[in-house]
Amino acid sequence: MARSPVILRIFAMLASVMTAGALILWPLPAGSDEVASAIRRYKSQEVSTGYYEEFEVLPRRNRPFVEVTGVQGGIIEYSPSAAKVRSRTHLADSHAGLDFYEFKTCQSCHPEQAEDLHTQRANLTCRQCHGGEPIASIQHYNSPMNPIRKHAYVCAKCHEGANASFGGYIVHAPAPGSDAARKNFPLLYATYWFMTLLLVGTLAFFIPHSFLTGLRELFAREKEVENEDESTH
Amino acid sequence: MKTKARINRFNVIDRLFHLSLMITFLLQTATGFSRLYIGTVWGRKVNSVVGGYEGSLQLHKWVGVAMILGFVLHSVYLLTRIKWRTPLKSILGEDSLIPNFKDLKHFGQQVRWIFGLGPPPRFDRWTYWEKFDYWAVYWGLPLLAATGLMLMYPLATSRLLPGWSLNIAALLHEAEAILAVTYIFIVHFFIGHLRPSSFPMNEAMFAGSIPLEAAAEEKPAWVARLRSERRVPEEGPAAPGRWYRVAYFVFGYAALSCGVYFLINGLLYARHISLH
Ligand code: HEC
Ligand code: HEC
Ligand code: HEC
Repeated sequence: MARSPVILRIFAMLASVMTAGALILWPLPAGSDEVASAIRRYKSQEVSTGYYEEFEVLPRRNRPFVEVTGVQGGIIEYSPSAAKVRSRTHLADSHAGLDFYEFKTCQSCHPEQAEDLHTQRANLTCRQCHGGEPIASIQHYNSPMNPIRKHAYVCAKCHEGANASFGGYIVHAPAPGSDAARKNFPLLYATYWFMTLLLVGTLAFFIPHSFLTGLRELFAREKEVENEDESTH
Repeated sequence: MKTKARINRFNVIDRLFHLSLMITFLLQTATGFSRLYIGTVWGRKVNSVVGGYEGSLQLHKWVGVAMILGFVLHSVYLLTRIKWRTPLKSILGEDSLIPNFKDLKHFGQQVRWIFGLGPPPRFDRWTYWEKFDYWAVYWGLPLLAATGLMLMYPLATSRLLPGWSLNIAALLHEAEAILAVTYIFIVHFFIGHLRPSSFPMNEAMFAGSIPLEAAAEEKPAWVARLRSERRVPEEGPAAPGRWYRVAYFVFGYAALSCGVYFLINGLLYARHISLH
């Protein structure tokens, strides 16, 4: 076989690179990744709105030039202020590139997540839910924690028959009275402050009320005793 | 003039309801709060006494179901207490626990009396704080029952409601329990035991009857009303027997000490727990 001219080889290389690039960068046709929506999941018939939640579409293919800051230095940063953006929510390994990860406990880096009922009272370890390495980001399409399968892959291990709605329980609910709760879970926040006000209001009324009534009765008694003393003299 | 006449205040059924409420309430406090405080040394200690992590939950659930049954029974009993020939008068009248405008008036008079600005209010059968005591349980119990059932059957609940409703239910259950426990162990115990007119113990709920004199002093309008209706018997019910009195004093003080024990430790350890 004759050696192909240089120009042909360059052309072939370019073509394969471009095909690969197109495969990587080409947007997937809308709907090819469709999973029924969270609100009406498992309804056999769904009239699609065309809007999909983040976790319902495949993560975009790894794009060679756009990198998540701190994981790998790309040519183009994710965004100018990428360092401040929490952008680990769609990774296959949410701890990729974190220094000293192996030497620390989960709690030392995620103190807020160690406050939940499962950890504090049921005495579970983080790994019983989050699994072994690598710990995928919650929203990663293939993560066991992805809301489309969390109930089956995680919760159902212990809660037999857990359904998708059960998986909607917020395991790491923010502290109910906190600002975070006000933003992310307003009903929890409102419930907390309503009950707190009720508690404080009830006690602030009834403790002084009972105590003062008791005190007044004491004085009334004293007076009675005095009166009795006078009448017997 | 000292008479031995007594007047009925609570019949046997009322007292049995109160007794079973006391026992179930204390059991729920012990099991529930030991689990709420399971992260602390004290919580684990108490929890091991009431059945351990699993056993205490089992007990908590059964006692909870018993309380729900008690609540339903009590509600049926309430219906039988209404005089159906004159329902309005019976529901809104003076023998009823439904709050009315007089309670507001009495509250104003009570405040004036406390500060020495007027005579004490002439209470009828129920003072406004007794009414509050009653209704506090009556709305607290269904709230605890509903949220408790939600947590007891989380899967069934999540079929009807979104999963995050369990977060709300758990918070409501804890917060309402804390409210009930602090109210009962501080306010209710103070009124029942420490108030000069009840010290060392208000026996009405156990003896069933109280001396007519005491009634006339505390609830003058009630006794006057009964007198005008000629419903005050000469002698009235018998005074409680000595050993019965001993029994309920011991029981009452045991309950009181349980409550104070939970209150003090609960407050001491409060900063080590979180309501998640
Ligand atoms: C060295 C500190 C460190 C340790 C140790 C660590 N993490 Fe992380 N983890 C992070 C950081 C930083 C992120 C990314 C920021 C974020 O999402 O909160 C993260 C992200 C995550 C996420 C994904 C969050 C998301 O939004 O999707 C999960 C889940 C997680 N960690 C669980 C764990 C578990 C379980 C352990 C213990 C085995 C653990 N982490 C130990 C620092 C740590
Ligand atoms: C009962 C199972 C369970 C346990 C135990 C658990 N997690 Fe999670 N974790 C979840 C779920 C489910 C989510 C998804 C968000 C949610 O529901 O709060 C999550 C989310 C997270 C996130 C993402 C940020 C967030 O709050 O949503 C981090 C970080 C995390 N977990 C860390 C931990 C650590 C650290 C521990 C151990 C102290 C732990 N988890 C124990 C189930 C669990
Ligand atoms: C490793 C076992 C395990 C896994 C996995 C697990 N749980 Fe739990 N869960 C428990 C235990 C243990 C309790 C505490 C039960 C108790 O109070 O005794 C609990 C309690 C709960 C409760 C409170 C219900 C009640 O009756 O008080 C909810 C809600 C809950 N889990 C939701 C979830 C969800 C949602 C997931 C999945 C993200 C999950 N759990 C995963 C073990 C687990």
